[in-house]
This record gives sequence, C-alpha cells and structure tokens, in this order.
Amino acid sequence: MTNVSTANRTAPNQASPTLLAVEGIGIRFGGLKAVDGFSINLPRRGLYGLIGPNGAGKTTVFNLLTGVYQTQAGRIFLDSRNLVGLKAHQVVAAGIARTFQNIRLFPGLNVLDNVQLAGQLHAREGLASTLLRTRRYAHEESEIRRKAFELLGLFGLQERCLEPATSLSYGHQRHLEIVRALAANPKVLLLDEPAAGLNSQEKLELAKSIRHIRDTFDLAILLIEHDMGLVMDICEQITVLDHGEVIAHGTPHEIQNDPKVIAAYLGADAATV
Amino acid sequence: MADFAQTLMTTLAVGSLYALIALGYTMVYGILKFINFAHSDIVVLGAWISFTLTRWLFPAVGLDAHNPDSPAPPLWLGASILIAAVVACSLIGFVIERFAYRPLRKAPRLNVLITAIGVSLLLQNLGQLSFMFGPSPQKMPALLSNVELWRLSLPSSGGARNVVIGLVDVMIVGTSAVLMIALEFLVFRTKIGTAMRAVSYDLEASALMGIPVDRIISYTFMLGSALAAAAGFLYALKYPGLNQPAHTTWVLLGLKAFVAAVIGGIGNVRGAVLGGFVIAAVEQFGAYYLSSSYRDVYVFALLIAILLVRPSGLLGSTVREKV
Amino acid sequence: MRKPNPDTPFDSPTPPRERGLLGTLANSAWPILLGIALAAALHYFWPLGPGWLYYKKVVLDVGIAIILAVSLNIVNGMTGQFSLGHAAFLAIGGYTSGIVTYYGSILLWKSTDLHGGVLGPGAWLFVFACLLGALVATAAGYVVGLPSLRLRGDYLAIVTLGFGEILRVVLQQTNPILSPDQLDSSSLKNWLPPPVGGAVGFNGLPTYTTLFWVYVFVALMLVVAFRLKRSSLGRAMISVREDEFAAQAMGVHVARVKVMAFMIAAFFAGLAGGLFAHESGLILRPLDAGFLRSLDYVIMTVLGGRGSISGVVLAATLLTVLPEYLRDFDQYRLIVYSLLLIGMMLLRPQGLFGIHEIWDWRPRWFTRKPQTRSPSNEKRGAA
Ligand SMILES: Nc1ncnc2c1ncn2[C@@H]1O[C@H](COP(=O)(O)OP(=O)(O)OP(=O)(O)O)[C@@H](O)[C@H]1O
Ligand SMILES: [Mg+2]
Repeated sequence: MTNVSTANRTAPNQASPTLLAVEGIGIRFGGLKAVDGFSINLPRRGLYGLIGPNGAGKTTVFNLLTGVYQTQAGRIFLDSRNLVGLKAHQVVAAGIARTFQNIRLFPGLNVLDNVQLAGQLHAREGLASTLLRTRRYAHEESEIRRKAFELLGLFGLQERCLEPATSLSYGHQRHLEIVRALAANPKVLLLDEPAAGLNSQEKLELAKSIRHIRDTFDLAILLIEHDMGLVMDICEQITVLDHGEVIAHGTPHEIQNDPKVIAAYLGADAATV
Repeated sequence: MADFAQTLMTTLAVGSLYALIALGYTMVYGILKFINFAHSDIVVLGAWISFTLTRWLFPAVGLDAHNPDSPAPPLWLGASILIAAVVACSLIGFVIERFAYRPLRKAPRLNVLITAIGVSLLLQNLGQLSFMFGPSPQKMPALLSNVELWRLSLPSSGGARNVVIGLVDVMIVGTSAVLMIALEFLVFRTKIGTAMRAVSYDLEASALMGIPVDRIISYTFMLGSALAAAAGFLYALKYPGLNQPAHTTWVLLGLKAFVAAVIGGIGNVRGAVLGGFVIAAVEQFGAYYLSSSYRDVYVFALLIAILLVRPSGLLGSTVREKV
Repeated sequence: MRKPNPDTPFDSPTPPRERGLLGTLANSAWPILLGIALAAALHYFWPLGPGWLYYKKVVLDVGIAIILAVSLNIVNGMTGQFSLGHAAFLAIGGYTSGIVTYYGSILLWKSTDLHGGVLGPGAWLFVFACLLGALVATAAGYVVGLPSLRLRGDYLAIVTLGFGEILRVVLQQTNPILSPDQLDSSSLKNWLPPPVGGAVGFNGLPTYTTLFWVYVFVALMLVVAFRLKRSSLGRAMISVREDEFAAQAMGVHVARVKVMAFMIAAFFAGLAGGLFAHESGLILRPLDAGFLRSLDYVIMTVLGGRGSISGVVLAATLLTVLPEYLRDFDQYRLIVYSLLLIGMMLLRPQGLFGIHEIWDWRPRWFTRKPQTRSPSNEKRGAA
C-alpha cells in the first residue's frame, strides 16, 4: 500500500477525546419526523456504526451532519467548532467528507479527475495563475495529481485512472467514492452503505480497507451499513435508529442482545417470543 | 378615473389572453416538469389558422374582407372558425408530444427543453414558408364589429371623459371565462382531471396505480393547445395586424404568458389565471402611467423579483428537493 | 498510437523554482504567442483582390462565432447551466466599445475615420474599447449569474432569455447617434439614454476589426478555454454540471463556480461584441441582443458537444460557413437548425463529441466502444 502523507492535518488534540460531538439534532419533512434528537460522540480514530431498518433516517443523519439539510435543533461540533449553519461545501472544508448510498460519481470526469476534484478545496492559486499557467500553479496541480494518484493505490485503481469513472465495475465505483472522499482530507469520514451490492469476498476486503484507512489517515469513521456481519465485525460502538429516533447505543455485543433492536428489525412480536 | 377605467378594461381583456396561454404552460409543466417552449407557437398557429380560414370563408358567405363597409359577418362564422382552430391545434399539440417529447420522457430535463426550443423554431419557420402563412404580416378581417356596448362618462383630469366598452373586449373576456370555468370543472370534477392531477403529483406512482399516463399526457397537451388556439383566435380579434409567425412579438407574448404561469405558481391552474391578470395589470398600468416603451421590461422585472423572493409563485407550494 | 498525455500522473512533481520573466513567458505564454504569430500570418498573407474580400468576411465571421460559441460553452457545456441570453453580452460589449471608438475618435481625431494601420493608434483605441466592453459585459455576467444560484435548468433559461429581450427593448429606446458637428452642441438630453442609434442600430463605427485582431482574440479564447478545462476550476465546473449535489459534498463552492463561469463567458462574449460592432458590412442592432442571436450560439454548443472545445469550434465554423453557401435557402436555414436540434436530442443528446475533444476519439476507435452512461446517474432516489 502506498504511504500517504498526513502531514497537513492538525495535530491531534489529546485533551478532548471527542472529535465529532452531536447533540439532539433533528429535522422534519412536513409531518414526518425523519430524525429526532439524534446524538453521538465520535472520538478521534473511532470507528462507529449507524444501523436501522430501511427508512429509519440514517442517510438523513448524514445529510444533517454535512449541511445538506439544516438541523432544526441541537448542536454539531467538530473539534469544538460549531458546524450548525454551515453550507455543505463549508462542512467539507471543515473536515467532514462522505460517500453516497447510491453512487454519485461524476461520469464526465475520469477516475483520476474524480479524485483530483477535491484538490480545489485546498488550492491557493487563483484564476489568474490558472490561466497564466504560472510555475506555482503547475506545481500545485502536479501535487494534487500526485496525491490523488497515490490515494487511488488504496484500492488498486491506479492503472485505470484515465478511464471514465462509470466504466469501473460496481465494486470499484464504491471504492472510488471512498477515495474521492478521502481526497478532501477529512477528519471524519461518513460512509453510507459502502458494502451494498458487494459479494462476501469483497465485503471482507472492504472491512480490511476501512480499518486500514482509519489507521493510516488517522480518521474517525461513521459507517451506515445493513450487513450486520460487517458492522459487528469492525465497529467499536453502534447506534441504532428506528423511525428517526435512537433506540439503542452500545458495543456490538450489547446491540446484538438488545430486545428493542431485535424488535425494531423483526417487528414487535418477535422480541417477545 | 376615466383613464384608470379604460386601462382596467384593457387589462381584463389582455389578462384573459395571458391566462389562457399560461394555462397551457402550467399544465404541461405540472406534469412533465419542463417548459414547453413551443406552446407560444401554438398560439401563433391558432391566430394564423383563424386568419387563413377567415380569408377563405369570407367570399363563401358573400363578404368582402377588404371592404371595411361590408356588413359584419354572422356570429356563427366566428364561432366555427374558433372551433376549427381549436381542433387543428389540439391535433398539432398531440403530434408534437407524441413524436418530439414522448421519446425523451426519461431524458434529462435540459434535453427536453432543447427539443422544445427546436420544435418552436421549426413551427415558426415552417409557418413562414410561402406555401404556409408566408413571411409577411397580414391584416385579419374583422370577424366581429366592435360595437359600443356601454359608454360611461367618468371624471378625468381634463374634465369628464367617455370610457367605451366594446364588444370585442367583452367577447374576449367572456369566451375566456367560459373556457376557464370549463377547465376548472374538467380538472377538479371529472375523472380525467383527477388522473391529470395524480400524474402531476407523482408520475411513476400514477403509472403503478394503473392510470394510463401516456394518454393523460396526450390529453393535457391537447387541452393546453386548445386553449392556446382559442387565445390565438381572440388575439387576432383584438389585434388584427398579425405579425409573421417568426416575429419576436410572438416570442414575447409566449414569454409573458409563461411569466404569468410562474408568478401564479407553476403547475397551479388557478395560479396561472391569477398570474395572467397580474401580468396584464403590471404591463398595462405600467405602460399607461410610466412609459409604454418599457412595457416588456416591467413584466420581466416582476418575474425576476418573484423568482428571487418567492420562487414557488403566488399560489405555489414550496417543494424540497429530495437528495 | 496515443500521444503522450501531458496529464499522465506519472510525471514526478517538480519543485517550484522562480524563473525570470522570460522563463515564465516561454513556459506559459507560448500558445498565445503562437496564436498571435498565426493571426499575423493570416492577416498579412491574406490575398488581395475583390474575390478574396468576400472570403475574408466569412473568415472574420467564423472567428467571431468561435469566440462566442466557445465562451457560451463554458456556461452551457462545462458548467451545465442553460443560458439563452449570450447575445446580450455580445451587445453590451459591442455597444460599449462602439461608444468608446466612435465618440473617442471624434474627440481625439475629429472624425470617425480609421486612424492608422493594424497596430496604429486607432487600432489601440479599438482594442482598449473591446477590453472595456468585455469588462462591462463581465459585470453584467455577474448580475445574470446570480439568479443561476437559485434557479435551475429551464427557469434559468427563461431569466437569461428575458435579460436579452429586455436589453433589446432598452436599446431600441436609445437616442440617435450624434454626428461630429452635433457632438459639440449636445446636451445631457442627447446622452440619456446614450446616443447609440435606437432601433436603427449603431452604424458609422470605424471598421477596425481585422483578421489579425479577431484571431488574436480567438487564440486568447482557446488558450483560456483549454487551460480552464484542465484546471481545478474546470473540474469543479464539470462536477457542477454532472451532479451539483455531489459536487457540493466534495467541497465545491457551487455558487462561486457558477458565477465565475458566467463572468468568464460574458467577458469573451463582450470581447466578441467589440469585434462584431467594428466589422465592416455589419451594423450592431438591438436585435443582436435578442433571443434569436443567442439561439445561434446555443445551437453551436449543442451540436459540437456540451463541453467539447474543439467540437464547438468545428460546429461554429460549419454553422457560419454553410449558411453562406446556402444563401438562397435562407428561409430554410432555421428549419434545418431546428431539425438539427430535435434530431440531436433524440439521437445523440451529448452532441457530436460529448465532453471529449476531437482528438480524444481517435484512440478509442481502436480500443473500445465509447462509454455508455451508467443508468445510476439518470434517476435518483434518496441518497
Ligand atoms: N427530502 C426529503 N423530503 C421528504 N422526506 C424525506 C426526505 N429525505 C428523507 N425523507 C424521508 O425520511 C425518512 C428517512 O429517510 P432516510 O433516507 O434517512 O432513511 P435510511 O435510514 O437512510 O433508509 P435506507 O436504509 O433505505 O437508506 C424516509 O421516510 C424518507 O422518505
Ligand atoms: Mg439511506
């Protein structure tokens, strides 16, 4: 695996173990409480899971955290910086990147460009030097390109970097989504069902990669996943949502034995049987 | 006071025309979520078909279109020309939808918009060919003599002045009102109307519920085109100097009607009618009290203001895009 | 088969080294220098003779059309917005530069005749006027770009269309042009609204537009377009076009990117407007701000491929040259255009070349079939 620099990340602040502190956020769509009073404390290098039945509000939580929707209550702090009220692109700059449940790559950009796109977040050269092709600009571009290329190595996508993103296999497209999010240099990575549609072999590899990414990039990861095996295997803590509300939170072991969780997944009757 | 009343009367007549045209835009937008750019060209066709028929039929009933002193044509002549134009335009609307828009039902909206622009250009320029309507403006023979119905004497700055209410204006307002009430009944009281509203609310779900979506969309286009044809006919009554089909006045007429639909809340049938009158009021009163050269400017200024302040229009509801 | 791609990721990054002015010029200015050389060659080696005069006009028109179509392509093609008001920027640039050269010439030289050759004082006044026109157009581009932040697709099309039409109406209300004698005795009344000819058009402008200046600006346009496409900003533009929402989630400041696109496009359209206004045999009219002229350029971008610079250059050339040869069929020209638009959308909606450049296609013919778009990008439910 390629050795990716993590130099320009802020030094970990050992004093507060919590990186992402979320307190009582929520949103309603018309009469529907899609998410209500959601809280989570994600520590540095934490790998947490977010599960729940279909329509429980998991993706909506991600949309709230990333500024796609504005939360109607509560607070979101990243490294003690308040994120409530920021626009989606500002949240990325602040350090939260995400992937999408239904893959949303840019079909008109090739694999490498999909990843390079995030380079503009940290680019300092303006329009004038872009158009004049100054040396500094050329250097910055090649740095962005080098970094993107290196990141593609995480999933062995380097050979295919000049192909259109949509020519990749489904599994590779999911990988590319993760790489693209990493290119934004985030402190927190939100993965929305990264294993959906993968076979069991691929899922195993994905689990390894996720751990590897957390370790090399010194990230906190919040993972939405329907595959219980995967979640129980890699997550340290799991939060369970049902009908927009947190119904349980704990270690995989605790979650597996929580009657409320079983009820949510199997219907109320099953729990009492 | 007199000026105000006269402007108000014009506003009502012009507003009815805008409302009729706006209804077509709004119904198509409500269902297919794109601006049917060719809609204004259906109005043009309606006007020009009326003109052509009038010119054919005048000699047939023993009238002379070029002689201003010849007696007024019978009312049934105008009515049958109106009906003929409506039928012809409905068919054209059907054909356009069937062959230009239906193949793109699943394509990105921008592609459909470009197609619609293409259809619009095509209709305009086909219409200008010499074997069609020809490339020059024409004068529509009077189908209705503009009899003075009422004369009100109202105070005005320079003493009392007469306000004349003519038959043509009343006919326009009356015909439009009848059509709009019929449409209201159709949309809100009949099965087809219910199906239309269902399709406009959620096309896919309606298809799953067994609603024949394609047929409903065809009906919608035909209905919109019928109203546009009626508007074209009435427009020719009021403004007999018909510009050639590709003239910019038609583009502007269509645009203003579209603005009316947006201001009322696009997709909203009652909103389109309201918007039509609002636009007409802004235009006519602006033209009268400020400067008539800039009448189009007022309408677009209003459009931009509305889009920035209340993009969903006066009667529209805000929809949040689901991501 | 494949030319070495300048953007292969395999080159090692070179540390930034400050080069002198000459070094920078050699590195980054050569395409534009080459363009100037070519423009000069075109200008000086163009054969004399009455027959060639006609072709010269066609070549001038092609150049101007290229600038307009390629600049519109930055908004409509790369950024995926849909402007139907590009001609408005042309008119703004044209009228602004016209005021400067016409009244400037009178003030400086007491007449509106040409003053000096291709690089003479008159020509520099003209270039200054074009740049000023371009800047005013850029400011207008900023204003028109603002609604694009709130409006999508067809709404934006209507607003930009409305902008062009309003401008047309306003230009029709302008005052008659002042002759040199009238200028001295003119009062504020003659200048509000500006004396640019009203509905008749702004005629009598000095005809400074030459092959040299047109193609210098074409070169500038192409260099900017290509550099933009292969830059961070260009990628951001394309991402906005492909999926605005995902772009935002990747940290793209969508609002800024859209407004930038409008401003850059407006700048070049304004520049082209200056060239257009000063071309001999053409009169800038209020109609040139309107919908129909905008449509010409929209068709070029749709045909060439929304995002493909070379494709749009080709389309602009074809659609400028062909009507010249089909003069007798002028009434059919727009019919052909409309059928092109409809047929294109039904059969090949991405345009002849899609987002690719013409040369991108060569290797692919040998290796692989062109990519089809994945269905996942067509329909979207909840993310
Ligand atoms: N923009 C929106 N407008 C209206 N309702 C919405 C919107 N976004 C989400 N919802 C609703 O909120 C609820 C939660 O949706 P969400 O997508 O968060 O579920 P999820 O937990 O991610 O489900 P899945 O496992 O299927 O991905 C659903 O009922 C959904 O229909
Ligand atoms: Mg989800």
